[in-house]
Amino acid sequence: MATTYSNANRPGLGTKIGKGFMWVWLILGLVPLVFMFITSIKPEGIANATPPRWFFTPTFDNFANVLAGGQGTSQGFGRLLLNSAVVSLGATALTILLAVPAAYALSMRSFAARQKISGWILSTYMFPPIVAVIPIFVFAGQLELMDTFAVLIIPYAAFNLPVAIWILRSTIVQIPFEIQEAAMVDGANHWGTLRQVIWPLLVPSVATVSVLTIVLTWNEFLFALSLTRSGAKTAPVGLQEFTGMFGTDWGSITAAATLVVVPILILTIVLRQKMVSGLTFGAVK
Amino acid sequence: MSLTEARPKESLRGASRKSAARHHGPGPRQGTRRIPWLYLAPAMIVLLIMTIAPAIYIFYTSFRNASILGGAGRFVGFTNYETALTDPATQQSFLATLLFVAGVVILEMILGLALAIPLAQQTWSNKLASALMLLPFAVTPAVAAMVFKQLLNPNYGWFSYYMNQLGFPPNLDLLGNPAGAWAVLIVLDMWQWTPFVALILMAGLQSQPLEPREAAMVDGANKWQIFRNITLPGMVPFIAIALVLRTIQAFKTFDSFKIVTNGGPGNSTEIINLGIHRIGLQSFNIGLACASAVLLLVVLLLLVPAMQRVIGRRADPEEQ
Repeated sequence: MATTYSNANRPGLGTKIGKGFMWVWLILGLVPLVFMFITSIKPEGIANATPPRWFFTPTFDNFANVLAGGQGTSQGFGRLLLNSAVVSLGATALTILLAVPAAYALSMRSFAARQKISGWILSTYMFPPIVAVIPIFVFAGQLELMDTFAVLIIPYAAFNLPVAIWILRSTIVQIPFEIQEAAMVDGANHWGTLRQVIWPLLVPSVATVSVLTIVLTWNEFLFALSLTRSGAKTAPVGLQEFTGMFGTDWGSITAAATLVVVPILILTIVLRQKMVSGLTFGAVK
Repeated sequence: MSLTEARPKESLRGASRKSAARHHGPGPRQGTRRIPWLYLAPAMIVLLIMTIAPAIYIFYTSFRNASILGGAGRFVGFTNYETALTDPATQQSFLATLLFVAGVVILEMILGLALAIPLAQQTWSNKLASALMLLPFAVTPAVAAMVFKQLLNPNYGWFSYYMNQLGFPPNLDLLGNPAGAWAVLIVLDMWQWTPFVALILMAGLQSQPLEPREAAMVDGANKWQIFRNITLPGMVPFIAIALVLRTIQAFKTFDSFKIVTNGGPGNSTEIINLGIHRIGLQSFNIGLACASAVLLLVVLLLLVPAMQRVIGRRADPEEQ
């Protein structure tokens, strides 16, 4: 779009204040991230020095220490990152596997209940995870699923399904119906149409949904905190125990924090155009 | 319990579409009617197990004195609800939750709009600005909470050191008193979520047509009049989307409270999510936790119609 929002020919005082406010917000907003990164590359002993040290020889010792699980850690942080990756990718794969056929069904014009069911699926977004965590805690205990990847992967997939199904359904509906019809006339059944006609056109949306699901599941805390002990513990939960374990060794803590955040920041920047659209179920383009 | 909210049918358009489907839809094969349900079933089963089944479980358990150790317990009627509704700590939790949600949502809407207006101008520097804007929003909430806690550490944190340089007393401990702790939690939430609101509203501002504003300008309207009478009314759907999503998300807030204050000092920042977690999964009084969870679920169910209207209709490709 070539139009600019403000069509003023000269920037007034209000515009300048607005712009100033925006940049102050953005720069102040970076302070926690700058703190995290700078502290993670400080050499041993000066990480929490007061006054804060701004000039030092950067080192990656903290990262090496954290990943190796040195200094009284029972598990290397690398293991926790690996757990996070397994849970995140597993939940994403499951989400896609469930959401693609569901979205296809909800786009079929011959399916009379599609609007009502789509509406119900959307409404499950408001379901608070804290309400689900107690029953899942109880049943996971009885089924001996506690501290497994499955006990995280299945709820994570469930909580990401509403967004996934809505985004994919919207894409399928926008595919000209004649294309599907042609495939049907040529003798393809629904499965064939989905695989050969719809799937190739759906790949970009599947990519969006995947990245969104990876980010949200990687960041999840409540379920991981309540349902894992050690075997499937994820990085955000393990990080909290660092505070006890390393005391005031801020170098190690911030190095671990950086390791958690960096992959997500990269994915978010890659997907930035689609991020807001995805999180609003496609209501904001 | 029904999570379903029937959509009001748009009689004319809906009807014509239905008849169209009958003519152009895939031919009436054997079992065609079952096919959509077949494709839908796996997703529906997972969703039902993770939403409706837990809802039934907490409803059932809320009438029993269940604990993890003592099994399903026995039927105790409304005792748990009585306890939940009369216990001052739980009452305070609910009140704190409502005030927190209202507070952060209002603040984030106002600041989000203030950020969206300069951000909506499509300049080179704003491309950088919107990328920077997204950063706090992507940071793992548990990490953000931990980093904030370190920044605010009274002995070593940057905050107390630089505030001391500005003339405040040394070793300032914001988290040591309820007002300070609340301020930190609210600022943390705003830091993380205002960008989300700003980016939704920015998209709204950029989608407004130029012509009505030009016409008003020609007619001599000033900037404020144009904003108030033309831009703002056009922004209503976007404001509604941000409002509804942020309200729902704010009710789910857990990580930051758990990590930054864990409900303290005392129980001054124990919002209901934290309360349910503590009562249910730390004290193992499952019955009481479930009663509170049912009450929370009822509050959130009230938001479903708003979500259906504001997001459902707009995101639904068949409605456009």
